[in-house]
Amino acid sequence: MNRFNQINDSFESYQSLIQLYEKYKDESFGDIHLEFHKFFAANMSAALGAVLDKFTANLNSIHFDSIDPQIEAILLKNNFLTYFGKQKAVDTNKTTIKYQRLDSTDGRYFKSYVIKELIEGHNSDLPQMSKGVKEKIVEAICEIFVNAQIHSETEFIYTCGQFFPNKNKIEFTIVDIGIGFREKINKRFETNLRAIKAIKWAVEEKRTTKEGISGGLGLAVLREFVTANKGKMQIVSNDGFYQFNNTGEIQKEFRGEFPGTIVNLQFRTDDDNNYLLKDEININDIF
Amino acid sequence: MGDITISIINTIADGYGVEAEDGQKVFELILKAFEDKKKVTLSFRNIEMLTTAFLNTAVGQLYKDFSEEYIKENLKVSDISDSGKVALKRVVETAKLYYKDPDALKRSIDEIAKD
Repeated sequence: MNRFNQINDSFESYQSLIQLYEKYKDESFGDIHLEFHKFFAANMSAALGAVLDKFTANLNSIHFDSIDPQIEAILLKNNFLTYFGKQKAVDTNKTTIKYQRLDSTDGRYFKSYVIKELIEGHNSDLPQMSKGVKEKIVEAICEIFVNAQIHSETEFIYTCGQFFPNKNKIEFTIVDIGIGFREKINKRFETNLRAIKAIKWAVEEKRTTKEGISGGLGLAVLREFVTANKGKMQIVSNDGFYQFNNTGEIQKEFRGEFPGTIVNLQFRTDDDNNYLLKDEININDIF
Repeated sequence: MGDITISIINTIADGYGVEAEDGQKVFELILKAFEDKKKVTLSFRNIEMLTTAFLNTAVGQLYKDFSEEYIKENLKVSDISDSGKVALKRVVETAKLYYKDPDALKRSIDEIAKD
């Protein structure tokens, strides 16, 4: 039995999902029993879904033996449990952003999903975000999706989000089951960085593993927006944990490894910065 | 030498320039025009959002094969949003540095490895 009592965006929560993965990663044709109690942040469905898919790929059966009713309700509304045979529920409060498993080539679908889930589906019922904030959030999320698409060599990308209207925030999580920052960077530069150093290198501006083409702006743009918005970004890749918010950076290492990369983003919806301010770049002075 | 306009929305059949693959389609058209000594205006009309990944492939990689002077002389943009201008300027500055100093990335890896 695997009992989870509190899954949110804490280091310990990621550690417990890694522990689950490490426990069953080599098992086939088994039965894996799960229990969820007290709290499960709905956006973490993306990370859990990625791990469980690894197990089902080895023909293990997943059993949700016991889930507290309030957790079950939200995981039905965001469609997560429907991937495991349960009947979906209607989200009347519209606070969920649906759980999705996408092919890594589904960029267009992903973009439509983000716009629908974050903007069009929530025009009247959620704390009003300014047009500029909405656009910046969609842009930041798309940058991360495209990063996973280009760099991770993943088959699937898992996404999920959640509005927290009382706390004026949105959390959105994008997970891949690809090679991770460490292998990508070490292969490209024939080096031997630990995962945490690989992440730290990648979040700085102009750092890219692409050959023959410049890049490395997506994470830097995201970090700047997170700073302005007073949000938070977390990256879990293999055994590395990196967190950035307006109080600074945290870097830690897990026991065991996540089989890919999690990017968890938190944005404030009550951000009153004017992101639509006219800039002073002359259109004739770009190149 | 004739001038031509390349419409991004028409090239990628989408109002959102998100994926690098779509950027590549735009890049190939600019390349074709440049090879034929045409001046290009890149029209961003009706484009609602751009990622840096899209702009890197669409425009950034031009600096690999063409000089700053050539690009400045032969490429213009029109109807681009203010946020698009900021992103494009940043992509362009990054590309110029990248192709001027291709060893900078390796040096940054060596520095972090030493820490």
